[in-house]
Amino acid sequence: MLHRFLIASLLLALTLAPLGPSLAGAPLVVSVWGGNWKNTIERVVAKPYTAKTGIPVEFEVGGTLDRLAKARVAKGAPLVDVTFTTSHVARLYASDGLFEKLDLAKLPSSNDLAKEAFRSDHAIGGWAYVYTIAYRPDLVKTPITKWADLWRPDLKGKIAMPDFDPSHIITISALLEGGNEKTWEKGQERLRQLKPSIAAFFSTDARSQDLMKTGEAPVEVMLSINAFHLRDQGLSITIVEPKDKPGILGIDVAAVMAGGQKTKNAYEFVNLLLSKDVQEQLAAGFKAGPTNTKAVVPASLKGQPGVFSSPAEWKERGYIIDDETRATLLPKWKEWFNANIVAR
Amino acid sequence: MTARAAGIALVVLLLAFLTVPSLVVIVMSFNPTAIMAFPPHGLSLRWYENALTYPQFQRAAVNSLIVTAAGTLLALPIGTAAALALVRHGVAARAVWAAALLSPVVVPGVAAGLGFLILAAGLGLLASRWVLIAVHAILVLPFVIRSVAVSVANLDPALERAAASLGARPSRVFRRVTLPLLRPGLAAAALFAVIVSFNEFVVSLFVSTRVTEILPVAMFTYVVNYTDPTMAALSTLFIVATFVAVFVAERLLGLSRVFGLEGHSHAGPSR
Amino acid sequence: MLFATALGALFRLSVLEFVPGSLRTGGATAANFRAVLAPQYLRAIGETALLSAATTILTLLASYPVAYALARARSGRVRSLLLGLTLAPFFTGAIVRTYAWMLVLGNSFVTWPVRLLFEPSGVLVGLVHFSMPTMILILAAALAHVEPALERAAASLGARPARVFWRVTLPLSMPGVVSGSLIVFAWTFSAFATPELLGGGRVKMIANVVKDLALDSFNWPGSAAFAIVALAVTLALVAGLGRLLAPREAS
Repeated sequence: MLHRFLIASLLLALTLAPLGPSLAGAPLVVSVWGGNWKNTIERVVAKPYTAKTGIPVEFEVGGTLDRLAKARVAKGAPLVDVTFTTSHVARLYASDGLFEKLDLAKLPSSNDLAKEAFRSDHAIGGWAYVYTIAYRPDLVKTPITKWADLWRPDLKGKIAMPDFDPSHIITISALLEGGNEKTWEKGQERLRQLKPSIAAFFSTDARSQDLMKTGEAPVEVMLSINAFHLRDQGLSITIVEPKDKPGILGIDVAAVMAGGQKTKNAYEFVNLLLSKDVQEQLAAGFKAGPTNTKAVVPASLKGQPGVFSSPAEWKERGYIIDDETRATLLPKWKEWFNANIVAR
Repeated sequence: MTARAAGIALVVLLLAFLTVPSLVVIVMSFNPTAIMAFPPHGLSLRWYENALTYPQFQRAAVNSLIVTAAGTLLALPIGTAAALALVRHGVAARAVWAAALLSPVVVPGVAAGLGFLILAAGLGLLASRWVLIAVHAILVLPFVIRSVAVSVANLDPALERAAASLGARPSRVFRRVTLPLLRPGLAAAALFAVIVSFNEFVVSLFVSTRVTEILPVAMFTYVVNYTDPTMAALSTLFIVATFVAVFVAERLLGLSRVFGLEGHSHAGPSR
Repeated sequence: MLFATALGALFRLSVLEFVPGSLRTGGATAANFRAVLAPQYLRAIGETALLSAATTILTLLASYPVAYALARARSGRVRSLLLGLTLAPFFTGAIVRTYAWMLVLGNSFVTWPVRLLFEPSGVLVGLVHFSMPTMILILAAALAHVEPALERAAASLGARPARVFWRVTLPLSMPGVVSGSLIVFAWTFSAFATPELLGGGRVKMIANVVKDLALDSFNWPGSAAFAIVALAVTLALVAGLGRLLAPREAS
């Protein structure tokens, strides 16, 4: 009696389960950061891609290191086809064998790329930006013009910075003390002195934007693209091109996952990303520097922090942390930073 | 009496504490821009539009419906059988069984989630929807058992014996006598199961993938990655729906009784 | 049942070695449990215990008046209203409630003089709010069984309202106080969503650490060891609850 009921219910449940929306024609899955990042890539690359090939594009969103961890677990049977990540973290992916060695013959658009865009055999640069100082002029009356200003007493308890990647502030502290990222210990004491000025740390782009929006942290070591996004939303925000040391250059790269099912489509997607038209729209949408030399940056944006007219400008207006060094030292930096700066 | 007035004021204040967050969310959801201000500088429904058309939410909502329906349908018969066995028959080591079956309530969600994740991975079932359904069925089982057990305890076995003595077979007795008498308990069990399963988050977070994730998990991902009021709009829809459901349930089922709030002094049903 | 198997898997993995960067495991080792003793983890356990205790006490204080009103409500409509307001937040789900507090405690709503969001104080507020409905219901059920006649009798014998409360009402509602407190403590001990979102990465309770280890670092064995610690404490508390209540029921 009860058994019959049980069986009936099981059958009913069985018929319900497959009712889920079946993926009509397996989509291309792209791993990228969330929020405005995913929205821009979706608008500028994914939609034209789907229009051209008929293949839908889905996104796996998350933080840089979260997605690396997920990729490591799925090694051999990747859950995504294309990955966007930062240039130095790409090295970690590559050393784990997670990326395909890029066959440039399949990426004809890459012929127009500046040589600086070729970060490694496994990843290719899509756009560049800086981590610089951004602040709310309505909440911070005295203008901030250089990195050293962060240590000003009037900024106590007003600053926010990333805790998932301390590379920027560690390098800046070292530079201000006459060292560099390789001799980063030189900046440790100076960085300790900054601790009382820190109001909060953010682990995601969303948090970073929120802290600035609500004014909880009116000064931030912020990714230029995120700062521009807030300005687009109507927030009054000043993005600084510091006078003492440049902003820290960041390059985001695209890569094809090794062992994926849709490698051919992945290449098509990346090729579209690197094409002149898409690059121009990326530069205009993100307010960032393109990697395609033929792409023209809108005149209104030229000269803005993080908006490089060409990759040749990267060296002039940004500080480039050596990728190899960064990838190797990052765990040590994180450990020291968490123990000495983040810990309450 | 001023003491009484003070008491009432205190209760009102505390209830306000309980309710204010929901009200803030509702007001914030109408913000015209992504920069949230209180009170909003205008009124706009764009975030409602965004929430309702966001593909990941739509997929997650469908997933939620499937998982909750399937999980509840699985848990109801199992729970009923368990309740009958526990209350009626002198099952050996009854206390142990009771504890074991009720344990999902006590175990921390993260421990359960991790355990299921490890188990599923070991069986190669990581991306399967069935894992999620099974997990939900297990998680709502204690609530189902408890609700049905109350009805079973109130069930007079004499009625079933009478039916049997009149020549009805056991299955007929069950269908015509037992089940209908258990209906209030089953209704409450179903209601609990649906509510618990629909809102289940922690364990589901561990065993979901992007494709199978249910609505609370999708909402969590959104909150972590986006800062616009879309979540406020979705939350408002949730809050309104829940409020309506609770009031309707109170009218239909008399939740006060279910929660044992009618003590000796009231003219409630007596044992 | 299936649940026991899942827990069994948890136990097994916690004693296996963690191989970073993959899901493979090495040989048997107690290293994972030893790792639990690392300072930042002990700190998380300590903070969790503290927050749970504070939450329980505050929830008790905040819930009692509402529970009293609910149990003593003479009008069915008032009772329905109180019950509805108490239950509504209960059923809206963890994410919605925690998100609502993110909005309230952040600077979009009111500029708070003291930082609440991403601080233990903010997490505490969220946890109390989360636990109140449960506590209110348990206390109200207990209070409903306290005969108002007893209170009236005490009052008629000349006791002031405060004394009636301390000497009659409170002691008779003790079973509810105890069971409610233990349930709230046990639940808060393994809270996840509230500290995850309201703590902003700066306030880590045990559940957050488990999730970090499992889903961010993919250190399943380490996470398993930690989860078992959380499980052990919770079970101990519930066992304590059982022993405390059993003799009462017998009498």
